[in-house]
Amino acid sequence: MEAPELKEKEQEMIGSQMLKRLPSKFSVTLLISLTLLTSLTRISYAQDSAKINALSKQIIEAKSDKDLYSAFEELMDLYFSRATIKSEGGIPPKAGKENKYNELVDFLNSLIKKKKAPEPVVNYYIAATRYYQLKYLEETQEWDEYFSNGNTYRDQITQSAQKAIDVTTTKDTAYLYARLILWRFHRDQQDSFEESALADLMRAAFEYSSLSPELLPLKDVADQLLSYGEKGKAKELYRSYVNKLITQDIKDEELASIALGFYKEGNLELSQLVYDIYIERILKTYPKEKLIPFLIDIAKQFSYSAIGGKDEGLKDTVYAENIFKKIEGIGGKDVFDQELIYLRTFNLEKSKEYSQALNIYMDLIQRFPQGVHVEEATYKAGIIFTYILRDLKNGRNYFEKLMNKESFSPYAISSLYQLGLLSQWEGDLIKAKEYYNKLLGEAKEKFPEAVDLVKARLREIEEAKPPEYNLKTFLDVSLKEENKVFDMSKVDLTSFPYRPKKDQEVNIASSVYLGDTGCMQIELQYLWSGDLGTNKPSSLEQPAFNTSYTEPGTKVINLVVVSPSGIIDRNIDLIDVD
Amino acid sequence: MRKIYWIPLFLVLVFATGMASVPKPKVYIKKLKGNHYQLIVERKPYIVKGVCYTPIPIGQNHEYDWWSDPYKPWIVDGKLMQEMGVNTIRLYQAHDNPEEVKKVIRDLYELYGIRTILGHWLGFWEYPCPFYGDKDFQERIKKEVLEMVNTYKDEPGILLWILGNENNYSCLGQVNPWSTDEIDKEPNPQTQKFMRAKIYYSYVNDLTREIHKADPNHPVALGNGELVGLDVANQFCPDIDLVACIIYRGKTFGNLFNSVKATFDRPVLLSEFGADAYDAYLKKEDQNMQAFFLESQWRQIYENLANNKEGAGNCLGGTVFEWTDEWWKHDQNNPESWKVHDTESNWSNGSYYFDIQAPKNMNMNEEWFGIVALSEDQKEFGLDKRIPRKAYYVIREFWKRPNLKKRNKR
Repeated sequence: MEAPELKEKEQEMIGSQMLKRLPSKFSVTLLISLTLLTSLTRISYAQDSAKINALSKQIIEAKSDKDLYSAFEELMDLYFSRATIKSEGGIPPKAGKENKYNELVDFLNSLIKKKKAPEPVVNYYIAATRYYQLKYLEETQEWDEYFSNGNTYRDQITQSAQKAIDVTTTKDTAYLYARLILWRFHRDQQDSFEESALADLMRAAFEYSSLSPELLPLKDVADQLLSYGEKGKAKELYRSYVNKLITQDIKDEELASIALGFYKEGNLELSQLVYDIYIERILKTYPKEKLIPFLIDIAKQFSYSAIGGKDEGLKDTVYAENIFKKIEGIGGKDVFDQELIYLRTFNLEKSKEYSQALNIYMDLIQRFPQGVHVEEATYKAGIIFTYILRDLKNGRNYFEKLMNKESFSPYAISSLYQLGLLSQWEGDLIKAKEYYNKLLGEAKEKFPEAVDLVKARLREIEEAKPPEYNLKTFLDVSLKEENKVFDMSKVDLTSFPYRPKKDQEVNIASSVYLGDTGCMQIELQYLWSGDLGTNKPSSLEQPAFNTSYTEPGTKVINLVVVSPSGIIDRNIDLIDVD
Repeated sequence: MRKIYWIPLFLVLVFATGMASVPKPKVYIKKLKGNHYQLIVERKPYIVKGVCYTPIPIGQNHEYDWWSDPYKPWIVDGKLMQEMGVNTIRLYQAHDNPEEVKKVIRDLYELYGIRTILGHWLGFWEYPCPFYGDKDFQERIKKEVLEMVNTYKDEPGILLWILGNENNYSCLGQVNPWSTDEIDKEPNPQTQKFMRAKIYYSYVNDLTREIHKADPNHPVALGNGELVGLDVANQFCPDIDLVACIIYRGKTFGNLFNSVKATFDRPVLLSEFGADAYDAYLKKEDQNMQAFFLESQWRQIYENLANNKEGAGNCLGGTVFEWTDEWWKHDQNNPESWKVHDTESNWSNGSYYFDIQAPKNMNMNEEWFGIVALSEDQKEFGLDKRIPRKAYYVIREFWKRPNLKKRNKR
């Protein structure tokens, strides 16, 4: 490697030239700094050179694919940083370490010339280097090189990858990786070869899976497919990978640990595939009483944490519900204690499966009428009946159940408010006032947020006005039969965290699914209402806002989105403040 | 025997003479093997290397009559265009004075060999809104369109006609919404959208037939925002010759060419696409960013031209949006702002990813789409001085030496 030496000399020259121009006072400090820098650089280059020599040796002497490819991968990491490369756009990364793509290509070419490494493998790495180089140039916006050499690099990607393909077969790792880099290249370009490149890659991967004993390349391909959003294709390959990975003699505990490992890596697809095999195995061998606790642990792993306010780790509520169904199938409803029922329905509610959630909330109320979650379940059943199913009669029944309780919990207070609101909307102002005044009497200083809401409603009644505009619109859109068309499919609403503590900041965000409008931007208005907490949106143009709550209970967020041509849709979200 | 011998020869001669007397249209679309399409102009294949042309000077808005500008901006622009390799301009709609329009078309063609695509808005920007379901409205617009065709069809510089621009979005009900009593009675919003699209595309088909009768020499294009509604056009717009798509998808056009093939098998002209030259995140002009997107877009256009085995083969070329910046666009009702090169964005598009992290993701700067900038303080030939941006040179080089990928072997 000649490059390090050259750079050292250059730096020394620059240093001495600068020193001549500076007064002596600064010279000493600068001299020390430059000497240090030069020494450090020298050490770093020396280390790099030594490492490169060691890796070259490893490449020449490699006895297995694993040794060969790991040496090449390490080599790439020495020459440039792939950590900064993203598959999609975004703000360009700061160039961290030196990106010596051209030097690596020179070095790789020298390996071919000296016949010191398998040519197809080297060709694949030349293609890969140019691929990363193009991405790097784009992301760091080094346009001079991009425009002057972009076409050359593009040609090198396709030509070098093709060279690797031409002299290998589908059992060779170089063949598979060359197909992968070609697909990634065409995918990034979104050109007309993308489809055929993907088909070629999948064919290559399946053949590789049946012909080659190697495992990791298959996972590499699946990982890349997943990162590009090709979930279905990635899953197919993960399945092949898992089938090869899991031999008959692998122990159940080991299997569970592999699945957990993939979960911790953040690869839910792979984790679930291994868990599925694990579950299939233990279903056949474990007795019911031993089996169910394992299943519960898995379900909990993929669930939102219903209690405690922590929602760490990745969630897949659909997968969790599949496991809950398995548990129910094996042990019946009786194996669910009230906490497990609550966890299950909380997850369904968060994945907006309101009808299913309602059924389980009702089951919880029936089976554990004195349970710790019954008031929350009753209130939520009232909300789902009223605002999701437009069934005011059943909704009222549930709210009234709470109102008739002896002690007034946050849920009873919220139920009183809902009953008052429904009466006010229907024009029964006397009844509305009754509910509101009862709430004021019971709430006193304990529920200032609810009291504020009620005072606003009572003022409206006093002034013979309808509920404030946003709220009235939400009630009209959600409760009138003629507005059934607004089925919450075009407006999505999410909050984070779902289980905040008092005064903890919560982010509430909406997204709207509009048809295409090209470059004609539609100005949307966001009509927020309900329990908006301490920091309400300040304008109609706000699709998201941050707030917090001073008192516990279930908070109902309402949203109607309006465009100049009318209402687009509405939605609600529930936040549980501990 | 002799007589019998002469009869077939006589018939062949009559037939050949007859054939020779039916000349091919001046401009037409040739269907090639594998459903590839090629635009033929005066018997030669023609790739549309075009720009959308609306030369509004600084301080004026869209109502400015540039056609009668004594400094004739098209003469200055035409020269720059010719030097770049532009062979076509797209005009969204002709001006009221036909003599002035003819002058522009002729000058560009005679001086620089640049042809003109002439369009019609089909009343899309009329207030209160277009009424495609209203017979009187339909007749009035039809009259205007046919007047346009009859007035300019014999101009040698005319290339083709484009009907509408992004008018199809109005069928979805969000942009310039319109309706009829029958549509209003329909409770299902999806059916309502289909009913509007059916009315609109049937009307465009009616116009196309009339244009074909009046002018068999130039193809008629359906101006369409994205591919929205093309499935309905496939049912109700069979006479249209090509689709002129308005597409803003960033670096590439994705699967557009194959999608058109699958939904409405007509040749495609990218009649409006491009990128702005202002980074809304870093708040500064970025010519490289624009050049990057445009080079990539043109590469894909070329990959999908006819006779390129690797592509869809149904692309005829494109007219990039746009030739010069238009300084009036951000605040259309405020004449003071027409003198200012506004840097505030009017819309958001995540496909232009370099500056998508701008506040509220508003990254598209409508006043910065020109591949040629206008000088704020310098005049040249009586006009705002033209300063080509990097994209101008990058596209010029690309057109000279298009670098196309070859498919990798199986």
